[in-house]
Amino acid sequence: MKRLCFLAFGLGLLLLAWPAAAQDKLVVSIWGGSWRDLVAETVAKKFTQETGVAVEFITGGTIDRLNKAKLAKGNPESDLNFTTSHVGWLYANDDLYEQLDLAKVPNAANLVEQAKISPYHVGTWAYVYTIGYRPDLLPGASFESWADLWKPEIKGKLAAPDFDPSHIIVVSALLSGGDAAQWEKGQEKLKELKPSFKAYYTNDANSQQLIANGETPVQVILSMNAHHMVSQGVPIKLVIPKEGAVLGIDTIAIMKGSKKVDLAYKFINVMFDPAIQAEVATLKKGSPVVTNAKLSPEVAKLPGVFSSPEQWKSQAIIIDHKLRAAKTAEWRKWFAENIMN
Amino acid sequence: MKPQPFLRTFVFPAALCALGFLAAMATVLQYSLRAYVPGSLEAGELTLDNFSALLKPLYARVFLDTVWICFLTAVCTLIVAYPIAYALVRAQNRLIKAAILIIAVTPLFLGEVVRTYSWIVVFGNNGFINSALLKLGVIDHPLQIMFTSFAVITALVHVTLPVMVIMLAAALAHIDPTYERAAQSLGAGPIRTFVSVTLPLSAPGIIAGVTTAFAWTFSAFATPQLIGGGQVNMISNLVYQLGLASFNFPFAAALSVAGLALTFAILSLLRFAARPLEKFGPH
Repeated sequence: MKRLCFLAFGLGLLLLAWPAAAQDKLVVSIWGGSWRDLVAETVAKKFTQETGVAVEFITGGTIDRLNKAKLAKGNPESDLNFTTSHVGWLYANDDLYEQLDLAKVPNAANLVEQAKISPYHVGTWAYVYTIGYRPDLLPGASFESWADLWKPEIKGKLAAPDFDPSHIIVVSALLSGGDAAQWEKGQEKLKELKPSFKAYYTNDANSQQLIANGETPVQVILSMNAHHMVSQGVPIKLVIPKEGAVLGIDTIAIMKGSKKVDLAYKFINVMFDPAIQAEVATLKKGSPVVTNAKLSPEVAKLPGVFSSPEQWKSQAIIIDHKLRAAKTAEWRKWFAENIMN
Repeated sequence: MKPQPFLRTFVFPAALCALGFLAAMATVLQYSLRAYVPGSLEAGELTLDNFSALLKPLYARVFLDTVWICFLTAVCTLIVAYPIAYALVRAQNRLIKAAILIIAVTPLFLGEVVRTYSWIVVFGNNGFINSALLKLGVIDHPLQIMFTSFAVITALVHVTLPVMVIMLAAALAHIDPTYERAAQSLGAGPIRTFVSVTLPLSAPGIIAGVTTAFAWTFSAFATPQLIGGGQVNMISNLVYQLGLASFNFPFAAALSVAGLALTFAILSLLRFAARPLEKFGPH
């Protein structure tokens, strides 16, 4: 009988402690690996120092987390969500995000215009997809314009992402007098590029592996990946063509149904702290999204790192994020049917 | 019939799993019959457009390529696995048996992605094969092995090999060695003994192994994705490219349903074609 009482008492303590423990942490959904580590070592660390609240991460791929969020609608597994700008629109369109009140985020006063994606999600850091190549494997090559990808000497040397052809589709459209909305104008031009493709990479690691071992010495590459490879000793040259590089922005939003909205706003405020933004830019070689982040000269001069409003305007090709969310499936289908197969 | 009081207890969890599986399949089927709404995660009204879109020549080609890759993988795996399984079963020395078993089965512990990456190291322009051939002076520039059907099939054979070895070894272990001794005592040489006695008696194992290898390979994703590099595509790669990565879940569901239907059809054909061989096997 005594044993039963002790057991019941212990269970009762456990049950009392459980909800308390759950309330002591903020849950953030983000990609795994270096992305999780980046936010953990910068934003989450400072957030916990300031508030005393621990941060827990749920990690996974873009699509996996999107599916899970959809299934958990109204009772989200996380309080905050990191995703790409156009996928964020899919969350927003499905009523998975809280509408943001940026008045509760003092540091958002310095946000660049390009980071204000929607009333529901805002940019956290930016990068570009642009031309990266191995000058040691392509001696004498130069890429002043996106049109240089169509040169005969690039035949069988190019790789591009298989998960998102939006960059090359929009570039082809621009070179053909169109734009993202009138992308059909670039279809014939893109078909001419087909012989240049040697492979299509499936993720960041695959991209890095293909250019590092020389299988595809030219790529439409994510700038952060290129800078990472350079730091590993791979001689990659990153180019911002005269037309600009295709901008990508990762975003943050508060999940609808979160019970820690106030804490979530505080986390976002830390995200936009200029010191944190500078640290993120230094670690990942992405562009800060606030105007008051101070970058070292070495980081600021890197291709694809925008540290001034002029660079944002002149070097970035911006695909409307909502249009991109709507067009992704159509572009993917056309690209798979006409270019990849 | 003897009462089996524990039957319900043991069957119940399996029945629950089967129910869950059926529910998932029903969801996929339901999605395949709904329209894709651009920019939304919700599927639209009922439609057959997803299936009519599959009638394009591109998809027929990918489906045929998938069947051909699976067939070649199954046959090549059989050719490589049979001697290994035979040696495993017939080896007298325990240490040799254990060594063969470990070599055959260990790749299973590594996972498909790790094994695939190891083949990238072998096949790449700066990989083992090209480096060796260049150093030996056999070639003067690297051979293009990556992103070819040959590379994909080779890697798939490696992935499928442990399963085939285990299935063939199980079949060969049931063959009484006295049959082979009897054939030899009647004047049959080793080759004739193998062809006339061992091979026919192992037919059920061969059929099971080939069928399993075919079905197993049909759902391969990581290997064709990484080694194929988008140039060699199987159905699963299309599901990923056109469905999941595009958030066009209805079309992904339609591709999956069509792939499943094709798998059933091919396996039924294989089963029908293998019926004459089923009369062989241990008595």
